[in-house]
Amino acid sequence: MQFVLKNIIHFMPLIFGVGFLGPLLGQIISMLNWQAPLGLAPLTLGLIIGGAWGAFAQYKGRWI
Amino acid sequence: MSVTLTEKDLRKQEIAIARKYADRLPWEAVVWGLGNLLVWLSLWPLVFLGFVPLWLGFIIATLNVMLCYLPSHEAQHDIIGRKGTKWRWLNELVGHVSTIPLVLPYRVAKLTHIQHHLHANNPELDPDFSSMAKGPWHAIWKSIQNRQPGAEGGFNKYGDVLQDIGRPDALIDGALFQITHFGILIALAWSGYALEAALLWWLPRQIGLTYIQFFLSWAPHHPADKTGRYKDTRAFKSAWGNIGSMGMQYHIVHHLHPYIPLTDTPRAYREMRYILEQRDCRLEGI
Repeated sequence: MQFVLKNIIHFMPLIFGVGFLGPLLGQIISMLNWQAPLGLAPLTLGLIIGGAWGAFAQYKGRWI
Repeated sequence: MSVTLTEKDLRKQEIAIARKYADRLPWEAVVWGLGNLLVWLSLWPLVFLGFVPLWLGFIIATLNVMLCYLPSHEAQHDIIGRKGTKWRWLNELVGHVSTIPLVLPYRVAKLTHIQHHLHANNPELDPDFSSMAKGPWHAIWKSIQNRQPGAEGGFNKYGDVLQDIGRPDALIDGALFQITHFGILIALAWSGYALEAALLWWLPRQIGLTYIQFFLSWAPHHPADKTGRYKDTRAFKSAWGNIGSMGMQYHIVHHLHPYIPLTDTPRAYREMRYILEQRDCRLEGI
């Protein structure tokens, strides 16, 4: 139990980036009618940005 | 003509004033804590069903998070109902549920807050020492910095303190709260409600935490360079007034007598001001 909780918490920046920021950014891109480059779907672009940001936070220990 | 009182007289008179405000059940804190939670919970269906616009929901939710800590704080000090009294269940109820919007478990809050009282301004032992900052803008920046995943201060420091005092069991509460919080945000986001989740919980919590750490932690202890009963907390005049600063102008009274309900601290302060003056406390503009 503790091992599972510890690992979830440890990887939370990455999980949050992909799981929450990705769809959030996708929803914002759709709402603003922005055209994603390379014909990407808004959710795909959101997941790329959210995932990259989450990976940065995971590696660096900070979001900003 | 001012009369210099002896140490014994000062102590006696200070306690006599403080005791006048003890043993009152602060119903306002109960209504505040439970009512605030109900408003925040009701925002979700009201926004989702379109009865309240999201922008308004965001403003109300932000106020809810800013307001949610202090009722639990009263409970942390057993002000609503001490152990063994008939209102103990209410004390624990308010303590546990009022900080749900803040994602702060009661046991974590209570255990670390007691350490804050015992060791205020001690860089090693005060769990809130990481709020220390050079000025108001720096305090806001520190609050944001302390929330980063790899930060040494903020809630990460709470984890260290709980380990140090032999209560790692409370860390489980913190982990479960965090996982549930993020789990709900993620579930909402993948159901097409990412913006609603962000504006009713995630962003209000970030703003609320900054506000709470600014007024409840940084401002009353600034510059946090002294320890000791009459030196570690100050009285100060806030540009936001007493309500805008959530009564923290009189936080010195709370540190001296933590059993006094929050809403009684201004009156207690005015009564014991002459004592605090003689004690050479930091009373700034109020």
